Amino acid sequence: MHRFDMFVPEDLEDLLKYVDSHQSGVHVIANGTDLINRIQRKQVTPKVLADISGLNELSYVRKEGDKLKIGALTTISELISSPIITKHYDVFREVAAKFGGPSIINMATVGGNICSASSSEDLLPVLLVLNAEVRLRSLRGERTTTVEEFLKGKRATALKHNEILVETIFRELEPASTCSFDKVGMRNSLIIAFVNSAVYLKLAKAGRLVEDIRVAFNRVNGKIPQRARHTEEKLRGMKLSEESVAETVRALKHELKLTSDFRVSEEYRVDVASALFKRMLNRCSEKLVGERGIV
Amino acid sequence: MSKHLLKFTVNGKDHALVVNSHDRLIDVLRNELGLKGTKEGCSTGDCGICAVLMDGKLVNSCLIFAIQARNRKITTIEGIGTAEEPHPIQRAFMKWNASQCGYCIPAMILAAKDLLDKNPNPTMEDIKHATSGIICRCTGYLKIFEAINTAAIEMKAESK
Repeated sequence: MHRFDMFVPEDLEDLLKYVDSHQSGVHVIANGTDLINRIQRKQVTPKVLADISGLNELSYVRKEGDKLKIGALTTISELISSPIITKHYDVFREVAAKFGGPSIINMATVGGNICSASSSEDLLPVLLVLNAEVRLRSLRGERTTTVEEFLKGKRATALKHNEILVETIFRELEPASTCSFDKVGMRNSLIIAFVNSAVYLKLAKAGRLVEDIRVAFNRVNGKIPQRARHTEEKLRGMKLSEESVAETVRALKHELKLTSDFRVSEEYRVDVASALFKRMLNRCSEKLVGERGIV
Repeated sequence: MSKHLLKFTVNGKDHALVVNSHDRLIDVLRNELGLKGTKEGCSTGDCGICAVLMDGKLVNSCLIFAIQARNRKITTIEGIGTAEEPHPIQRAFMKWNASQCGYCIPAMILAAKDLLDKNPNPTMEDIKHATSGIICRCTGYLKIFEAINTAAIEMKAESK
């Protein structure tokens, strides 16, 4: 194991002071499910780890006005058992079911998933289609940016050395809208996805007209989770039908610029992405038609 | 490299010991406290063999630095039952001969404990999900599932 010092802050202020006075070499560790592996493989070689796992003030799920706010240290288990995460937000339960076994979802945090910024982080497509934002704090103040802007590349984020991601925020889903998540990997538990993806769908009150749609995959063009905007454009304003969906799938195949790797080939990824996209669209429209009386 | 005073509770007993920043929880449990019931498998969080309960929740002890367990309550397989007085889950595992090589069994039993503490009436699906993070390389899953199911039934009967 690589050798490092551990800084254990008393509270968030203490942590912010510490990272502000250290230019480099400090890496924040939450519950460690991702980072400890990367330290063991020497992909990350911190001089100091700042351990935030004890900062309970960052663990919460709240509703404020029409916004939902999730503290960075909230675990996936805590998220899906929160009363705020009602049936309307079952998308998070769809994520948890394929995220990992209990010993992982009891530890992996929402903030950690965002800051890890890789194509294997299952929450990212969901947060992208929810147009979620992240709130970043430093000793000097705070700023809010979208998750999309926050993700700069594989394992690269907009976080500055003196900033801490404290929460993620998204607007409440309107009654006529819903989200779905799906993923394919080698097994159901503890697996890095070949493809993971999310869809947000809003239908007009009548006629199955797609009022709004957002689609995100773990890889669209390159290795970070992104929206598939051309695909969205294709379906926006259209009536949801077998033909329009088939046409949109063709657009998706065109838009995806994927690569083969040791896990799976490019062709297989594109096929799986298309199948998942159709499946999620169906699931979303069934939810809206079945539960919310859209015809 | 910094040393830390780690205060925590393991199997109901308070401990205070000095650990390195880079010591993992599993290292301290096995090497400092001599609790060899917790096994190490892949060391990367894929196999789930090193699972222990932290504040009642199943976690992988290879993916936690020891100092992160400060002020927490850890339960290892040694805190579940003894050879003389096995826990009902352990009795059910014996009844079903659910252990082959035995390496994954401490984790399986702790996963079962975590499940049954929260859900005394699990379905087979619940049992499969609760143990889904743990790999049994003997592939003896069926008897493990049956044993957990039997344990649930017997624990319910005993609590009446």
